[in-house]
Amino acid sequence: MAHILIIDDDPDMVLAARLCLESGGHTVDSAGGPADGLKQIKAKRPDLIVLDVMMDSATAGFQFALRLRGPSPDPDLASFGTIPILMLTAIHSTTPLRFGPDDAYLPVDDFIDKPFEPEALLKKVNALIKS
Amino acid sequence: MADSPGEPSELEILLPRDLAAASTRLILTRWAAGALVILATLASQRMLGVVLPAGGLYLTGLAILMYNTVLSVLAHRAPAADPAVTLARLRRLVVLQVGLDWLCMAVFLHLTGGITSPGIVFLLIHMLMVTILLPGVSSYLYVALGVGGLLVLALLEASQTVPHFTLLPSLPEGLYRDPLFIISEIVFFAAAAFATVTLASGIMTQLQRRERQISALFQTTRAVSSSLSLSEVLDQLTRNAALALGTTHSSIRLLDETGERLRLVASYGLSPSYQQKGPVEVSHNPLAQEALSGRPALVDETADDTRLQYARQVLDEGIHSLVVVPIVGRSGPLGILRVYADQPRRFTDADAQFVMAIARQGAVAIENAMAHETLQSADTERAQFVRSVTHELRSPVGGAQTLLRVLLKQMSGELNPTQQDIIHRVETRLDSLMALINDLLALAATTTRGFQDKPEPVALVPEVRGAVEQRAAEALEKNISLSFTSPQGDPWVRAGHEGLAHILGNLIGNAVKYTPDGGRVIVRLETRGASAIVSVADTGIGIPEDELPRLWQEFFRASNARKSGIVGTGLGLSIVKRRVEAYGGMISVHSRVGEGTTFIVALPLIAAPES
Repeated sequence: MAHILIIDDDPDMVLAARLCLESGGHTVDSAGGPADGLKQIKAKRPDLIVLDVMMDSATAGFQFALRLRGPSPDPDLASFGTIPILMLTAIHSTTPLRFGPDDAYLPVDDFIDKPFEPEALLKKVNALIKS
Repeated sequence: MADSPGEPSELEILLPRDLAAASTRLILTRWAAGALVILATLASQRMLGVVLPAGGLYLTGLAILMYNTVLSVLAHRAPAADPAVTLARLRRLVVLQVGLDWLCMAVFLHLTGGITSPGIVFLLIHMLMVTILLPGVSSYLYVALGVGGLLVLALLEASQTVPHFTLLPSLPEGLYRDPLFIISEIVFFAAAAFATVTLASGIMTQLQRRERQISALFQTTRAVSSSLSLSEVLDQLTRNAALALGTTHSSIRLLDETGERLRLVASYGLSPSYQQKGPVEVSHNPLAQEALSGRPALVDETADDTRLQYARQVLDEGIHSLVVVPIVGRSGPLGILRVYADQPRRFTDADAQFVMAIARQGAVAIENAMAHETLQSADTERAQFVRSVTHELRSPVGGAQTLLRVLLKQMSGELNPTQQDIIHRVETRLDSLMALINDLLALAATTTRGFQDKPEPVALVPEVRGAVEQRAAEALEKNISLSFTSPQGDPWVRAGHEGLAHILGNLIGNAVKYTPDGGRVIVRLETRGASAIVSVADTGIGIPEDELPRLWQEFFRASNARKSGIVGTGLGLSIVKRRVEAYGGMISVHSRVGEGTTFIVALPLIAAPES
């Protein structure tokens, strides 16, 4: 049982993730972009964030993660730096680029490729919440 | 005048070869000279009955032949790695030859009558040869030395310091001591020698200049065909134009889109401040107007010429004469090429015509390079387009796929069996649509710059093993025995990780996909000669023989694969083939319907990187 925030500008993706996570017994909130996402993080302090990479810009998700958990996070966000982030990306299946979690450049805990398998999403979310 | 670039040009590197050839000619001629001295002495003595110091002359002839042997050995030494060392060595060899020749010549003249010797003419021939070998100031030095030497010999004989041998008895007694004879002989000889050497060195300088020009034109032609980089082509052109005319300053300006401004795109040997003297506008620049109308424009003295737009800057730069020629492309004038000199009246009409020839060649190269750059930027735009299209296609399909999966997993409530079947069918259609999008992207990636993965050294064993392991679960599910045989060594190839994974994944995936339950798939990696060979053999449905030639075509699927109900886009193998070829490899297939198929990929082996 955890409270999860999904940040993604694709409402279908949000709905799919929400249904999937709720069926796993979690409560879910969603935000359609980084600004709304920040507001909700401050208001509700989720246990985990599912974060899309490509939103209003191709790297909006990366920048968001850096603001929250990078080497020099925003002062008013510092207390939220411990929230685990699961990054939702289509980059792995469309480009030869490969990402791995990296504290300095990509401070996220895990990745999942879009379109995702519902069970795989649940498995990753549960694993991150447990740790 | 700005400092000219100091690196040795190819033209200068060509010179040692010329000098070596000339030195070889001198050595060849000397064999004849040595033999001639001996034979002529013999003939004069035996047939003409001339009384002469034969012993001395034979020795002289032999000495010539002997030192020529040594010189010939020295001349055949292998050239040094550094052309400068070879050049210095050649110069020393030429000086040594000339020195030894002077010595023998002095002895020979002395033995054949000193100042009265009929052999004096050979001295002239030798001077001529030295001039041809070493044109320029040094040949006058040799003439002065030769004339001086002859005078010394005459004086030594006249003063009885050394004995005098009379070769021709018909000459008046004591002629060699007659001051008037000595003076007139020396003066006439000196005049003849200086005239000969001046003419010869003039001809040689002219020849060298022509050679320089031909070489520059040759290099320009080569640049036309060898480079597609605009900046490289322009740099070559400025350099060649300056070298061809024997100056060290030149520039190229190309017309911009407006057709009014001439933009400086390349310069050779010009100072930065001169390069930034200001915009050159055709309407304000009479010289450019003249050149752009198709004729070369010559300025003999910049100080007196009213056609210069930047007269003060030109003088500050030390430029006194210049030639401006048009660069005319297929569709009209592209710009102008200028060559500058620091002396007035440096260029002739012939020079201008010559630079025109270079500019004509250059125009072809410039247009090719420009076309190439346009293509390259079109390619980049296309890559961007493919990227956007892919994203735009993938996200809605991906969204729909995910929603359906959630629905099928009954995460939003229970479904009855009919609903499940319908959703499953829709999902299958979407999966094949997604596969098609991914394959189209991969296909675009094989032909679009910026999408191709960068080839790098890759160890094949782990790559192939990884690709096999990826299909292990699928094979197990179908009860297919999937095996991998690796070679003894550690073969490396040059390939992109992504592309290689795609090639192997596709071939092994197909083998598993089209092999019925209980079959076999054997993946073998071996090295043969200079190639790494990956073969993927299956006991699958096979490919009809008459369809094999079309197997690599986009969207082609074998008729039995189509009927099998197995989903496929028909793009996989054409992408595989393009990728294999992009890495310098080859792919082949043999197959028998109902028995199985074997794909063989051969990639060039490379040495394993050291670290």
